[in-house]
Amino acid sequence: MKFRAVMIDTGPMREFSNIVTTISKLSKECVMRLSDDKLYFIVSEDNSGPTPPVLWCEIPQDMFFSEYQMIGIDEDHKDIYLGVVSANLARSLMTLKSAKCLKIKLTKKQCPCLTLEIEMPSSTSQQTRQVTHDIPVIVVPRKLWSEFQEPRVPQPDISIELPTLKQLRTTVDRMRTMSPEIVIRASSEGRLTLQIKTSMAKVSTRFKDLRVEAFEGPIDHSDSETESQTNEDMSNVCYCRVDAKKFSIFLSADQISHNQTMCSIVHKKLIILCLQTEENVKLQFFITGIVY
Amino acid sequence: MKCHIPGPNVKVLGRTIHALARFGDELYLESLSDCILLRTLNAAESAYAMVKFNKNFFSYFNYNFYSTDENEGLKCKISMKSALNTFKSPTHMDKQVENLEIKLDPVSCKLIFQLKCKHGIVKTHYVSTLDCKAMQAIYTKDLVPNRITSSQRMLTEALSNFQNSDDQVTLEVSSQSLLMRNYIDSNLDLCKIIRTQINIKPSEFDSYMIGTETIITFTLKEFRALLAFAEALSLPLQLHFEVTGKPAVFIVHNGSTFEAHFVLATSKPDVATQASTQASSQIDKKRKENFSSHERSAKKKPHMDVEIRKCLEDDSHLFNDIEVPEDVCTEKGQNVSQAHFVERNMDCDDIPASPTSRIKIKSVFKRCFESTFDPRSIQGVVLAENSDSD
Repeated sequence: MKFRAVMIDTGPMREFSNIVTTISKLSKECVMRLSDDKLYFIVSEDNSGPTPPVLWCEIPQDMFFSEYQMIGIDEDHKDIYLGVVSANLARSLMTLKSAKCLKIKLTKKQCPCLTLEIEMPSSTSQQTRQVTHDIPVIVVPRKLWSEFQEPRVPQPDISIELPTLKQLRTTVDRMRTMSPEIVIRASSEGRLTLQIKTSMAKVSTRFKDLRVEAFEGPIDHSDSETESQTNEDMSNVCYCRVDAKKFSIFLSADQISHNQTMCSIVHKKLIILCLQTEENVKLQFFITGIVY
Repeated sequence: MKCHIPGPNVKVLGRTIHALARFGDELYLESLSDCILLRTLNAAESAYAMVKFNKNFFSYFNYNFYSTDENEGLKCKISMKSALNTFKSPTHMDKQVENLEIKLDPVSCKLIFQLKCKHGIVKTHYVSTLDCKAMQAIYTKDLVPNRITSSQRMLTEALSNFQNSDDQVTLEVSSQSLLMRNYIDSNLDLCKIIRTQINIKPSEFDSYMIGTETIITFTLKEFRALLAFAEALSLPLQLHFEVTGKPAVFIVHNGSTFEAHFVLATSKPDVATQASTQASSQIDKKRKENFSSHERSAKKKPHMDVEIRKCLEDDSHLFNDIEVPEDVCTEKGQNVSQAHFVERNMDCDDIPASPTSRIKIKSVFKRCFESTFDPRSIQGVVLAENSDSD
């Protein structure tokens, strides 16, 4: 198994650093999957049996790396799966924003390591400094590879474009202090509502005139859990109750420069948040709904 | 002792106290005829800081005010917390404080800090002195083969590459380059620690003179504290050191006004785990052998520790106290720790290796596991047969 990649452009370096920082906020460990055309970061729900991933990030290697070579185990198993502690990786990549060049290699030094060689320009002279980090990784055995495949999700009931992540983040952070759960409601008329309910107050923030990408027909609300608001046709609305902290962590991905964020809701069951950047990086975040 | 410090210099003093506070918990003050010395030692006795303020730092300086003896100045020790309290926010001090007066009240044995601030505000702090003795460390500053001068910014940038959890750093110096690595304790699992190495070229330093190539390791906490001090005062940092085991001296000075010496004890890095991260695969194999031999020799660890302890003993001689009658307590402490080391050595020698498997025990004590009575050993008539098989 061999892997060697070189990154020299500042834009991709900054993006890469931001992506890894966002991942480190979400989970302590993540799996890096290296294939011929893409680099994937996969985060699964805490290690207790095979569960679908919580975060799925695809990075096309040709947009990020100027050189990229990898050789898998054999013809049938072409990809390399590495388990890495995301906090380590994030901290090492923090200096990447002012770096000149990054080289990533898979090496074996007492244990398999991902070696990062960063060339930093010096502020005091014209010289460059060479910084080397050896991050220990765990090679994921082949029998566990099936856990890290692209998740197959049911067709969402609605896909709506989100307003500015920064706006959403400040709102959700305030709401988080009052309630641990938040209800996301989206209607086919382009309205998104964030709602929380405590014993003393009910707070909701409504965003309107949002672009609806897809809407799969009228929603069935016959289980009468819904509180209908006046003048609203409930068959066009679907919602999902999720953990506010997880939602907020995704929203901290606003550091990554993006041009589109989409929220897809499977009524009461799942929220899929999808972020796409100019360099074709796709970051997908799955939050399962809380059902009482 | 009585002295007056003008406004802008009070900020420098404040920053000094904050830097010293990150080293130790007690501040030793000594006034001599031409300067005032502030010293502190950290709890583990591995770091010592001394800051000397010359006469021209003060607007009025009288070192033996209140004392009866012509030549004797002030020698006292105060708690660092009290000193910090007086200089709470050094950043604002230069704008608010016009003058600071420090004097000793011999009647109550208190050190009085009187801050005259703007708008007629006068803040007076009465700090009790804990002791009346001095402390001095012995270390070589000038006759060292290795000297490096650098701007603190470059070192701060280099340190930003390390993890927050790293607590010791190793410097490997040669005439061609300086390698800075995070030090990994051999007790920790190598497969969980991230290793970082920075290669800095000599041309990046203001001056770089290496007489002896060496490897030194020291703690990052105090290093970061002294770098923050140099950064606050925008002064370059000088590093004077010899070889492993001998202390490294960091000097920050401002011409003739003040001079700060930070002395950090250095230790011997563990050879097996400090593998250079740029090793090729062939060398990797050798390292692997070294590593496995290190593991095999883990049983001999107590003896290895003896070597390291000896190095630390050498370091502790660094802090010899002068004036025996006054410094009995500190020396006693040192003697106690030395005796403790000797005791530990003896304990280590006496511990036998533990047995490796149970099979050996069984073969040694085989007879115990056999039944004591063997019926075949009876000759002749059996008068009473066994009532049951037991």
